Amino acid sequence: MSHSLLALVVALPLLAAFLPPLLPGAIRRLLGPLALLLVAALGVYLWRITLIEPVSLALGDFRPPLGVVFYVDSVAALFVLAVALVTLLLWPWRGDTSENLDRKQSLTLVLAAACGGLAVSGDLFNVYVFYELAAVAGYGLAAGGGTAAARVATFRYLILGSLGSLLALLGITLIYFRAGTLNLAHLADLAPQTLHDPFGLAAFFLILLGLGVKAELFLVNTWAPEIYATAEARVSALLAGLVSKLALLVLARLLVLVFPLPEARGALLILGMLGMLTGEFAAFRARDIKRMLAWSSIGQLGAAFIAFSIPGSLGLAAGLAIALHHLLVKPALFLLAERWGGGLARLAGAARRSPFGAALFALFALSLIGVPPLPGFWAKYLLLSGLAAQPDNLYLLAGLVVLVTTVVEAVYLFRVIGMLHGRDAAHSEKPQNMALDMTLPASTLAGSGAFAALLLAVALAAPWLTAPLARMALQMNDSAAYVARVLPATATSEATK
Amino acid sequence: MLTRYGTLLFAAGFAFLLFVLFTSQPLGAPPMLAGQALLDEAATTVGAANIVTAVVLAYRGIDTLGELSILFAAATAVGLVLGSAHRTLGAGAPREPGGFILRAGVDFLFPLLLLVGFYIIVHGHLTPGGGFQGGVVLAAAFVLPVLARPTETLSHKAMARVEGLAGGVFILTGLGALAFDRAFLAPLLGPGQLGALLSAGTLPVLYLAVGLKVGAELASLLLRLSEDEADA
Repeated sequence: MSHSLLALVVALPLLAAFLPPLLPGAIRRLLGPLALLLVAALGVYLWRITLIEPVSLALGDFRPPLGVVFYVDSVAALFVLAVALVTLLLWPWRGDTSENLDRKQSLTLVLAAACGGLAVSGDLFNVYVFYELAAVAGYGLAAGGGTAAARVATFRYLILGSLGSLLALLGITLIYFRAGTLNLAHLADLAPQTLHDPFGLAAFFLILLGLGVKAELFLVNTWAPEIYATAEARVSALLAGLVSKLALLVLARLLVLVFPLPEARGALLILGMLGMLTGEFAAFRARDIKRMLAWSSIGQLGAAFIAFSIPGSLGLAAGLAIALHHLLVKPALFLLAERWGGGLARLAGAARRSPFGAALFALFALSLIGVPPLPGFWAKYLLLSGLAAQPDNLYLLAGLVVLVTTVVEAVYLFRVIGMLHGRDAAHSEKPQNMALDMTLPASTLAGSGAFAALLLAVALAAPWLTAPLARMALQMNDSAAYVARVLPATATSEATK
Repeated sequence: MLTRYGTLLFAAGFAFLLFVLFTSQPLGAPPMLAGQALLDEAATTVGAANIVTAVVLAYRGIDTLGELSILFAAATAVGLVLGSAHRTLGAGAPREPGGFILRAGVDFLFPLLLLVGFYIIVHGHLTPGGGFQGGVVLAAAFVLPVLARPTETLSHKAMARVEGLAGGVFILTGLGALAFDRAFLAPLLGPGQLGALLSAGTLPVLYLAVGLKVGAELASLLLRLSEDEADA
């Protein structure tokens, strides 16, 4: 079944980003949220039908290895829904000037379109285009905070990001040079003969490093603490919550479809372990809540890389659980940290100023650590049981890393919770100033409250979510079905002669 | 010091990796599975004499939409960074118009540049060129007069309107295919006669939108940078 509505995932947000200069003010402000709502509805619809069977769309009606293909399985559909919902929750409603607000809203919509495109694209070069689109919109939003520090950080991010894009493009070029096609399904079909050798692996590692920049992979994640400490909370939440997950999803897809090799998995495993160790220990050392959250997000993505390195659908299920959990928790934490920047010591007593904010922080922190009834526990449980089932000792070592870093995570997060409920601030020199600074605005509380509601809903529904999660992982792992759907037998034989 | 050696080491290692990769491959005979199939059928299926255009707008039209959006995002980001910071600095140095020869030269060039730009755009499906190249020429046509007479700047608002309209036309043309039960960005109206000005279906419409969008974006980007320089 081909589904022409699939293209709207990309087309609607872009249309809403382009059109505002032509429209009067009132409609202009509604256009973006409306487009995102429609995409969210489309995501729900797609998720429901793809749980039964994946759908694909040949853009422009050109038969698949020639034109670009969108492929939506239940994983992609869920990410389409998540992109639209999270962007909506983090929507920039207010700006300093009307012009700048227009620009920020346009960039946010472009980012949403790019993320949706990354989730559904079935073509390697198309993935690169959407990745680059997400990157450029991300630079604009990160620099849009307006402070000099944000601009300096964004400039460094731009340089590293461009290097990453270049490496990824080089990897894609090598693959095209070797296999003569860019279609993921066609590549999956041809890979055993053409790409499963050192040449193909080199191309994969280049793409891994390149897309790893956005996925906060170890070695290329140095931008993250600076950006997240200086950009607006909303933007940090978008970059850490959404963009990193989509880059991760693309890498996981590539690993499953084209490079299901032990060497590729090993690289993911080792880089993931290093990312988890460095991230969590750096978060432990961080003296500023935003940097601490940034390092912790590097650690969490390291855990997701470890999970995706486990062969089979067990690993995919664990990776998806970790990625989706982080997608819910980290944006909310960044929202809460908006007014809590600066040294950790300044947080003392903040719980008295905004008890609800402090309670939300505690909830998200507990889930991040993995305290049982919360979803974070199930994510880590899946990861550890997946690791324990592997015969290789390296996987056992990774399990040890996960346990040790969980302890570290618990220590630094509880330190912050303790600090929030401490008693210094009320008696410090400038209580007036402090009160102004630390009380969280209602919009922030509403935003992170919505994330908390989602998190609790997932916690309550956990027993009913295991089956769909397993189904999603199975679907994502089934590369034969992917090839069969995108390239029905006639097309394959014709294109490969 | 250490970072400099590190960078050097990385560059050397990277060069060595590329050298090894490329020497390990046989020269001159890459498999062209998708490429050859495209060359064989593009002219008859799409009807564009310029096969590059058939690939850019038809087979990989979604990539072109992405590239357009990247340009849009870059221009918007520059507006966000420059628009908010330097407004408060005031007008800066007074701007003087250029000399007589410069002004007369620009007046002479303006219509020619417009003609060449639009020619390149509307023949994009027939000859080398197209929306991106023609759009750059159009941007030059509108930036030159401002360089000659800095007092008369173009309205950013008007440029944003052109840009929005062009982007909207591209996507709506693509969505129009849905009404005929075709997929997004499928070329409509049939391929027509190969080599005729009115051929290749809706591709010329798409290229016109690309050209206007690229032209408006690039012109407003250049003008914003020049305004910023004058202000600083």
